[in-house]
Amino acid sequence: MMQTPSPKSNFKVSWQFLFTLLMYGFMYLPILILAVYSFNASRFSTTWEGFSLKWYQALFKDLRIFDALQDSLTVALAAVAVSAVLGTMMAVGLAKYRFPGKGLYQGTAYLPLIIPDIAIAVATLVFFSSIFGLLEPIVQSLNVSLLNMGVPFSLPLPALSIGTVIIAHVVFCLSYIAVVVSTRLTNLDPHLEEAALDLGATPFQAFIKVLLPELIPAILSGCLLAFILSMDDLLISGFTAGSGTTTLPMLIYSRVRTGVRPDINALSVVLILMSAFLALASEYMRYRGDRKRLG
Amino acid sequence: MPLSNQKNGSDGDFDKSESLASRSQGRSPLPRFSPARRRFLKTSAAAASGLALANCARNLSNANSGSSPTATGSPASSPSPAGGSASELYIYTWAGYTDDALIEGFREKTGIQVVVDLYDSNEAMMAKMQAGGGSAYSIIYPSDYTVIEMVKSGMLTSLDKSRVEGLDALKPKWQNPVYDRGNAHSIPTIWGTTGLIYDPQKVGKSIDGWNYIWDNRKNLTRKVTLINDVREVLGATLRTLGYSYNTTNPDQIKKAFNKLVQIKPAIASFLTTGWEDQLASGDITVSMAYSQDAIALIDEKPNLKYIVPQTGSSVWTDTMVIPKSAPNPEAAYAWINYLLQPEIAAEMVKQLGIATPSQAAFDLLPQEIQKDVRRFPTEATLSKCEGIAPVPEKITEVYDQYWTRLTSS
Amino acid sequence: MSSSTPSSSPLAEPSPLAPSGWRKLTRLVEPIVLLVPSGVWLLLLLVAPTLLILELSLIPGFRVGQAAGGYGIGNYIEAFQPIYFQVILRSILFAVGSTVICMMLGFPVAYWIAIMAPLRWRNLLLVLFVLPLWTSSLLRAYAWIAILRPSGVLNSLLNVLHLPNQDWLNQTPAVYIGMAYSFLPYMVLILYASLEKLDRRLLEAASDLGATPQQTFWKVTVPQTLSGIAAGGLLVFITSLGEFVVPELLGGASSMTMSRLIYNQFLGATRNWGLGSSFSILMITGVSIGIALLLKYGDRDTTVT
Repeated sequence: MMQTPSPKSNFKVSWQFLFTLLMYGFMYLPILILAVYSFNASRFSTTWEGFSLKWYQALFKDLRIFDALQDSLTVALAAVAVSAVLGTMMAVGLAKYRFPGKGLYQGTAYLPLIIPDIAIAVATLVFFSSIFGLLEPIVQSLNVSLLNMGVPFSLPLPALSIGTVIIAHVVFCLSYIAVVVSTRLTNLDPHLEEAALDLGATPFQAFIKVLLPELIPAILSGCLLAFILSMDDLLISGFTAGSGTTTLPMLIYSRVRTGVRPDINALSVVLILMSAFLALASEYMRYRGDRKRLG
Repeated sequence: MPLSNQKNGSDGDFDKSESLASRSQGRSPLPRFSPARRRFLKTSAAAASGLALANCARNLSNANSGSSPTATGSPASSPSPAGGSASELYIYTWAGYTDDALIEGFREKTGIQVVVDLYDSNEAMMAKMQAGGGSAYSIIYPSDYTVIEMVKSGMLTSLDKSRVEGLDALKPKWQNPVYDRGNAHSIPTIWGTTGLIYDPQKVGKSIDGWNYIWDNRKNLTRKVTLINDVREVLGATLRTLGYSYNTTNPDQIKKAFNKLVQIKPAIASFLTTGWEDQLASGDITVSMAYSQDAIALIDEKPNLKYIVPQTGSSVWTDTMVIPKSAPNPEAAYAWINYLLQPEIAAEMVKQLGIATPSQAAFDLLPQEIQKDVRRFPTEATLSKCEGIAPVPEKITEVYDQYWTRLTSS
Repeated sequence: MSSSTPSSSPLAEPSPLAPSGWRKLTRLVEPIVLLVPSGVWLLLLLVAPTLLILELSLIPGFRVGQAAGGYGIGNYIEAFQPIYFQVILRSILFAVGSTVICMMLGFPVAYWIAIMAPLRWRNLLLVLFVLPLWTSSLLRAYAWIAILRPSGVLNSLLNVLHLPNQDWLNQTPAVYIGMAYSFLPYMVLILYASLEKLDRRLLEAASDLGATPQQTFWKVTVPQTLSGIAAGGLLVFITSLGEFVVPELLGGASSMTMSRLIYNQFLGATRNWGLGSSFSILMITGVSIGIALLLKYGDRDTTVT
């Protein structure tokens, strides 16, 4: 490992620590409120009518919530995975090469951050339906020829689906990841990779062994960012989703009309606890792994 | 390396999500596209290759009105994977208008599996339909004024009345509603009013109309929420001035705006939903609300009271329609007929806290629900209420400009 | 990847010819491999839809489903009406305010996690800080309503501490609180990525040479993390400019912003997509010009140091 001989940081209580603690409090206060109300017998946050698990019971009985959660996770994980690869490649390419139209390319890459969600959502839907209109006859004639050739399967017709949501989400995930990775690249020593190439590494090796390790923290924080944005996106999902695909924000927003009930609060609590558990577990594994290696 | 374990974790999950994606693609329905849209595609493909986007938006604008004869396309001929299959019905509706029991009952009776997608405003639904994203749905639940718009844009099938059973059971008022004469394109299914909800103990007296807010505006600083809808808010104000909700006279709208400005300091926020907690805690004194939301709140907070203003308010009807693009009209008729059964409609009133336009269903309801004036206001009250109707574009813009001024200043 | 062919030369023994051969091939293939996939993706799903918005913005009063008139700049003329100025100004004010607040709150947090916290805990601490974003933004806004309303959690807390009550809900302070809350984690994430690679020896050297913590901060830490500060600030600024839920739910009756205006034009009663598109284009242009200026300024800055 390339950890610098970190000074045995004996922990000191500094003002930064206290301030950070306060900010954690700030971040978790609304979550705490949600959690408290998820145990409240009353539907409303005004009165405490006693401890109750009924919202959790309601939650686990409501399959629609879990379908929505599954759709949301599918979209976010797939979009982030694709964007992590494409976004990193894009950031590296933009940092390393000069070419005509680079400024335009760069500007385009930042565009999803600027365009109002609603505008891009509507425009993307129109674009999708047009593309499908063009592809449909092609796929149909392909299927006819497949049928004539005696091939027992047919190609699916292009349609809005969860896949179109993923494709649309990749656009903004891509640029968020690229932005974060670019910040990391600006101060990176360009000679490192050169040195690796001089030593006879293939460009692929140089990329994987030299550049990528340097970029991993940035890529991961970019992914985290993109993941969160994707999980919380309402408008783009709402417009590009095929029927039967409902992401969690879509479900929550549509339920607003009948009143958000604490079962959604309960879901938030479960989700946060689960992800906190996952984070802790993976850190613990890493810790164990490090210890093993050292011992 | 920092965070590297998380990376592995998410990679593992990705494998799973890929298979999920393909599953979902399998059940997704087939959209149908008009030639107009195909034309747009060619131009937008040209745009992608750096050429001009000639006429593309124009085709979008004509997509529905121009293509109505072709929009029906070939519902049965194309091998649709899901939306068009006889055993599945895709419904696009509001939250709270269906529940599991209803869907299960329908499946038991007809063998058709219902898939429900939800929207939260008529405008959002229209935008999705008009942009080409709603071709899987065979049943939609537009509100009255949206029915007019959809008919005008040529989006709706004329209903074949020989295939609809139970229309006679509707109350006379819904036999021939103004938004859709003779129910030619739509079947009314749920209705309600707009009114005020408040805590009589805190207010100290009973409120009977919109005027309460004006009369007490000095004591109500940021104690009132109004619905986040230009026509509802300006309409209610127009009504207090003795004008119609649907006025097209800019002077009257201007007067209403000026009157509304007087109570601006009293308005805490424009919220269609989300006022519930603040009202229940007393941070808000009066909220303007749809009856359905108010009744849902009062069921749990019986100390609150919902009234339909004496001077008149808006009354709305949500309907069932079959879009021209419907892949499965058979199932759509089956659904309509299922919901028109008095027993089912009465059950919906009990379960979902809504009002039904069906006289037969009304007769089946227990006395206390029949006499519940929040759900079923008296005829005297209803006679002063109006449905919100579309107004010409120019007037819509006038409304919108005043709305922007009201919410900006 | 560019090199599916296995390398014949092991890392330790460089052959004299291979590097330049690789170098040439790389120069040719690598940019294509790196840039074309995302380029095509962006072109199809971003550039094409954006051009569509641009086109719509040039059709006065364009409404979907209705016959469109000819091209013109009517939408832009309408967008520059005085009533919208207030809205634009307010949006910018909200965005600038949130950015400044997030920066002031986020930097110490990112600094502590990246530099002062025990190495072993850093990833976990970062993840834990971002975790509240797992809840829907709508639910978080509702939770803030419960906290900020006059009889809410905040005032109960202030009562216990014998402090005067605050009535922030449905007013501007609630918007700032809600926006800062929503965007602080993003700021911390980006600042962390930048601070994490800060060369700690520089900090030690500065303090060894007798610099006060303030001097070290302004002369070493800030210049070294300038790109992160710029990226974080930019991201928060742009995102809060587009924020929709917080002003709507927490801001009260007088909180119309650009993004709400655009939303209303697309999904509101008027459904004037033409006007909505022209607002979008104006927003895109305005922000782009801002970024371009910032980049230019930022570039000059880094070349100086």
